[in-house]
Amino acid sequence: MATDTIPDVSLGEINKYDFITPSHDVFKAQKGLNPEIVAQISEMKNEPAWMRDFRLESLKIFESKPMPKWGGDIGINFQDIYYYLKPADHQGKTWDDVPQDIKDTFDKLGIPEAEKKYLAGVKAQFESEVVYGSLQEDLGNKGVIFTDTDTAVREHSDLLREYFGKIIPPSDNKFAALNSAVWSGGSFIYVPPGVHIEFPLQAYFRINAEQMGQFERTLIIVDEGASVHYVEGCTAPMYTTESLHSAVVEVIVKKNGRARYTTIQNWANNIYNLVTKRAVAYQDSLMEWIDGNLGSHLTMKYPAVYMMEPGARGEILSIAFSSKGQHQDAGAKVVHCAPHTKSRIISKSISKNGGRSSYRGLCKVEKGATDCKSSVVCDALILDSASRSDTYPYIEVEEQDVHIEHEARVSRIGEEQLFYLMSRGLSEAEASSMIVSGFIEPLIRELPMEYAVEMNRLIELQMEGSVG
Amino acid sequence: MSEFLPVAMKAEVPDPGSLLVEIDEQLIVLIHAAGHYYALDDVCTHDGGPLSEGPLDAEEGSIACPRHGAKFDIKTGAALTMPATKPTRSHEVKVEGEQIFVRLCE
Amino acid sequence: MIATAPPTTGFSQEVFDAFLADRDEPGWLTDRRVAAWKQFNNLGMPSNRDEEWMRTDIRLFHFDRFTPFADIKTPAELPSALLAVGVELAGHSSSLDSLSLSAELSEVWAKRGVLFGSLDALVKAHGDLLRPYIERQLIDPNQDKFSALNAALWSGANLLFVPKGVKVTDPFHSFSVLSSGGVDLGKTLVILEQGAEATLLTETASTDPDAGGMHCGSIELIVEKEARLRYVNLQNWGSGVWHFAHQMGHVGANAGLQWTIGALGSRLAKVNQHVALVGQDSEAQVNGVMFTHGKQHLCYNTHQHHKAPYCRSDLLYKSALQDKSRTVWRGMIKVDEKAQRTDAYQRNDNLMLSTTARADSIPGLEIEADDVRCTHGSTSGRVDDHQLFYAMTRGYTRQEAVRMIVTGFFQQVFDRIPIESVRDALGEAIGRRVRDIEQ
Repeated sequence: MATDTIPDVSLGEINKYDFITPSHDVFKAQKGLNPEIVAQISEMKNEPAWMRDFRLESLKIFESKPMPKWGGDIGINFQDIYYYLKPADHQGKTWDDVPQDIKDTFDKLGIPEAEKKYLAGVKAQFESEVVYGSLQEDLGNKGVIFTDTDTAVREHSDLLREYFGKIIPPSDNKFAALNSAVWSGGSFIYVPPGVHIEFPLQAYFRINAEQMGQFERTLIIVDEGASVHYVEGCTAPMYTTESLHSAVVEVIVKKNGRARYTTIQNWANNIYNLVTKRAVAYQDSLMEWIDGNLGSHLTMKYPAVYMMEPGARGEILSIAFSSKGQHQDAGAKVVHCAPHTKSRIISKSISKNGGRSSYRGLCKVEKGATDCKSSVVCDALILDSASRSDTYPYIEVEEQDVHIEHEARVSRIGEEQLFYLMSRGLSEAEASSMIVSGFIEPLIRELPMEYAVEMNRLIELQMEGSVG
Repeated sequence: MSEFLPVAMKAEVPDPGSLLVEIDEQLIVLIHAAGHYYALDDVCTHDGGPLSEGPLDAEEGSIACPRHGAKFDIKTGAALTMPATKPTRSHEVKVEGEQIFVRLCE
Repeated sequence: MIATAPPTTGFSQEVFDAFLADRDEPGWLTDRRVAAWKQFNNLGMPSNRDEEWMRTDIRLFHFDRFTPFADIKTPAELPSALLAVGVELAGHSSSLDSLSLSAELSEVWAKRGVLFGSLDALVKAHGDLLRPYIERQLIDPNQDKFSALNAALWSGANLLFVPKGVKVTDPFHSFSVLSSGGVDLGKTLVILEQGAEATLLTETASTDPDAGGMHCGSIELIVEKEARLRYVNLQNWGSGVWHFAHQMGHVGANAGLQWTIGALGSRLAKVNQHVALVGQDSEAQVNGVMFTHGKQHLCYNTHQHHKAPYCRSDLLYKSALQDKSRTVWRGMIKVDEKAQRTDAYQRNDNLMLSTTARADSIPGLEIEADDVRCTHGSTSGRVDDHQLFYAMTRGYTRQEAVRMIVTGFFQQVFDRIPIESVRDALGEAIGRRVRDIEQ
């Protein structure tokens, strides 16, 4: 069992999230990955046979696929990880039902305050299982389903099965296959036709035990004319051994629907964060991904929008910030499968102290997708010569009647700007920090307020000590 | 209208099985499944991968691209799963004696 | 059916041995060829899982369907060269199926120590001079099967050597021709010593515009400090030719390279065009004009590598695509950590003239210095309806209007080429190829 471990504070920046709760896990599977463990996971969750078979088939696919030859260095021993942990026996409906040590964790993350505000409901994930959730009454009355994916498999089987694994089949890539085999937790959201959820639905994640993997699986279905904004923010304490986060997010936005998915990722610097996120957008619908990557040792994540029917639109706003020992390999993919579709990608990245930020993206216009427009802009700031910035955009155009534009710029903080701010009394660190904040302002502007504040503070923290 | 051209002997393509053949400066994957023969362009419409190097599911009637697993209907070339969204071309096949013939369709 | 031509002995040991026996070259050069030949036989065909080859399927290419150095009669009339029409030249050379046909160098420049003509002949007479440059090995023979083959069997090759301080005012011209089904294993080696200046125009063509054949070539440009080279390479092989090439330029301190490529021909092209800025304050301008039709597949991988500080590189590639053709442009700007104060630019524009064409554009940046300015851009689109309508209301036919618009599209690149004969030739060659666009 994991016991108290004092984090090694000399390892670098400490923020309020670097703490560890002693773990009182009710059940703990063994380390490693094999059909028996996968079958056990399915059994623990009381899943129908089709899901168990899906998991086992996915495991085979995972084992048969090679590691990607591009992106970052993935130094993981797959047999040295726990793939499942179940901290509490049942899912609490109110705050009182949740075990105390888990409450402590959430206290530190400020969830009770959030609950008092206008959040619709909180699906919080602790060690692979959703232990706390509550759905506000009026949403329930409108027919909105907001639950964890495990529950959805049992209680909304037909609805879930129609879409699960169809947007991202297990064979799509090695880590989608892994997630498909061992997924646990994550959110399931269904918004009925015409329903607009006015406030953001949120989720918090936490990796606590050493060697713990996080494999949440999220499925969001926005029916015709409906809209939703989903926000997720992650955090984890610092460890010296590697941890793996490999999530899959599938989103379907039907005719005239709108969906926005915001992520602020701030995993500790030993986490591998390898995520597949993809949305399909139908007629006249809009899908937006807002993706902030601040933490982790290595992130590989390329939120995608497939515009399947005329009038569909995709927008992706991506920020990557990498510091010492970090590699953010992030980006976006837009695929125009139908005519009269539009997409926009804005990527901003910052590398400092030897960090490496890479933009990797795709803009594809398929045959038949006439009258499409796409604009991709990538701006990168590189703050010192130890750091590195890469841009790898892929543009594939199979139609003539289109407007496709792509632009990328790499530069350092302008001397004139710095000088101007310093002449107004700011230190070089403060001036740099301000310029970087300005640089990522387009993303900050789109976040719910408490996240915006958090982001700005996190950037300030990251910028301290970066001068030199 | 192009002609039927001989591409392979029956013995070269077991059931189930697939074979890469060159016809008229094009690469075609010849498929033998459930007693019938089919021919598709040897290219996955998602990312250009070689279908002839991917797994054939005779029962389902599909062949998958080895790169990202996109599946295609062996009879019609239709895209069955993401990440492919467009069909690949299918062609006519006929058998005379021990010889398999393919006619390329536009 | 599977093979229409009977398999030939192609690139066999007998062919290689006979080739060497005939050459009578210095031992160090023979050794290089032998080592490369070994590599050629050891290496397999490139895998379609390699990033470089993923979009360019060469499974229909078979080495054993071609015979190098086959006996052919020199045709009575070679196709006309396009680039040097009406131009006073400092030197001129030509080859057919990798065999030198002619080489002339004007006395004025020969007297000043300039060498120009067949590398095959000149390496024998000037081995000691050329050896260190050849051994610099700008192109690594071990890179792939094609670089190895060229390093083993290059012939009918071109050399331009300009000694220190000599500034050659007239351009040089070299013309490589392929017969139908022939094999060209050419090589171009250009060496400009310190402070030298020269302009070299090279072009290729087939005896028949629809001819098949194979080209596996290499180009090495060594521009030493303070030297300036303007180099134009027009690829105009027949539409059935398989075209593989490795091309590399090194630019020394305070030196400049202007490199223009025109890509019109071939069935399938896979060309690596790299420029390395190795000396401080050097600059390179790379211009690409591509015009494709039919089922052509042209893949050009360019690379701008900044190894020294204060250098500038600027790449502009423009492609116009007709019918079912496809272009793949992959461009990388790589800036090493010590290459501070780099200015690097890259731009690719694609004009689609049919609904069945496909353009893949993959710019790239890998930056490890921080005091840099690097940008890249890419656009893809079709002919503007308003421009078309406007031209037609002025009395032009639709086809004439399209031709003007296409020429206008390429104008930005043409404006960067100071050599008038080249501008005219490219403009005309493209103009002739423009057909009407689909309604």
